[in-house]
Amino acid sequence: MICENCKQRPTKVTVTEIQNGEHVQRHYCEECAKEFHPFHLNFEQDPLSLHQLLSNWFGITENKQQEQKRQPQTVTCSSCEWTFRQFINKGKFGCASCYESFREQLPDVFSKLHNGNVKHVGKIPGAFGQTLHLKKQIESLRTLMRTAIGIENFEEAARLRDEVYALEKQLESGGENHDEH
Amino acid sequence: MNIEHFLNNSVMSWMAFEGKYADIVMSTRIRLARNLTGYRFPLSFSENEALQVDKAVSAVLLDEEAELETTFSYIDIKGLSTLNRQVLVEKHLISPKLANSEINGSVLLSDNEAVSVMINEEDHIRIQCIFPGLQLQEAWRQANNIDDILEKQLPYAFDEQFGYLTSCPTNTGTGLRSSVMMHLPALTMTNQMNRIVSVISRLGLVVRGIYGEGSKALGNIYQVSNQTTLGKSEEDILTDLQSITEQIIEKEREARLALMNTRENALKDRLYRSLGVLTHARLLSTEEAGRCLSDVRLGIDLGLIKNINVSILNECMIFMQPGFLQKYADTSLQPEERDEFRAKMFRERLQVKNNIDDEGEETHDV
Repeated sequence: MICENCKQRPTKVTVTEIQNGEHVQRHYCEECAKEFHPFHLNFEQDPLSLHQLLSNWFGITENKQQEQKRQPQTVTCSSCEWTFRQFINKGKFGCASCYESFREQLPDVFSKLHNGNVKHVGKIPGAFGQTLHLKKQIESLRTLMRTAIGIENFEEAARLRDEVYALEKQLESGGENHDEH
Repeated sequence: MNIEHFLNNSVMSWMAFEGKYADIVMSTRIRLARNLTGYRFPLSFSENEALQVDKAVSAVLLDEEAELETTFSYIDIKGLSTLNRQVLVEKHLISPKLANSEINGSVLLSDNEAVSVMINEEDHIRIQCIFPGLQLQEAWRQANNIDDILEKQLPYAFDEQFGYLTSCPTNTGTGLRSSVMMHLPALTMTNQMNRIVSVISRLGLVVRGIYGEGSKALGNIYQVSNQTTLGKSEEDILTDLQSITEQIIEKEREARLALMNTRENALKDRLYRSLGVLTHARLLSTEEAGRCLSDVRLGIDLGLIKNINVSILNECMIFMQPGFLQKYADTSLQPEERDEFRAKMFRERLQVKNNIDDEGEETHDV
């Protein structure tokens, strides 16, 4: 692809702009991108800019984008009683339950803050690691069970089902029962 | 350990001059943000919640000395004067946010000041480890160890999808901010920093001045850190920062060489003039002192200036700040008085025998 601006050099940089609520993608070469690039400045600004950025993304401007987003703005966290709107304005969560209350809206927010990433990879606290491990085990046993049913091996399927039940019980008790499978 | 120790001592463990990149990378910092489940974040919690969090976290750190391999001193922020808070900020032991906080905040400091754990800052727990030179893995190992010990006894706020839950969405995920403090005089002199800053910001990292977000690069000291905390493992975050840091070091060394090859005399003139200012000036502003310190440090790195120990320069950097100066003077100082006092401190610390104008000033034991 050729740069939209100079129409000479190949494109290296894709800039996504929000114009009147619409995402517009522009493709520039490195030289031209320097001229147009809006995010040179953003990183050096103080943390206040974070609220501004968030506010902009979630529509202060009057347009159809806002119609869609109006609903979530009034979602309220049951623990700290902050609304999604408040979270966006302050740029901070009021408590850990906010993550649960705003779960549906958060991937959009995180995607913009963390280079498109929305899922944690990395350290897991021991207690959660245990639970996660159990959940994964249950998931894979269920897959095996479905396969067994598919080939009409009901005996095997029943055995797997019992295993799943046992693990689920363990999960409910906080994953503390070390039962090796 | 007595709080006075932390307030009066301007020599810190990260100032030790070591490691193969120690001429350019001054220190490495790892910070982990953690919260407890069951309590709202400090932005919205009650005084009672603040107290409970404070008690729970400090109890673990004060009880687990053996496992932690270090002894912590507990300091209640509310009990400190404004000046003492400022001194701790200037030593990077607490954040300005904690210093100005109205709520029940505290900090646990290790005896060598390499580890500080802030309680009820923006998050319930902020673990910070500062190591000299470029030692990302070492600093991470220590922070991670403290985190492991805390997690065994405290219920962390964690989510399968979002990872460690933090008050600011820019910390969500690993809660890890890793940064290196670099002295980059040659890249600054040759006007290459703006370009480097803009390239780095596209890679999910940030460059800031020494005193954090929004601050100017006083004394050509820059802090490079990771921006992304979600969707990247701790290992990857550290590896990326390490590789970027090594590349910047390479560029800085090239720029130093180029300056020496093409502008040797002009460069020498500038560095020696700065040495002259530091050792003879009677009034020194923070900006001027910062600039001259950078020049003298470069002079030492290039082998031009001898007989001055870099660790004394590091100490001066901490010492020349307004809070520390006033602590030392034992009285509040007007800006002009500070400049005078600062100049005096530099003359003493750099121990120059002044034959022309010997005012017979006594030397202070710092």
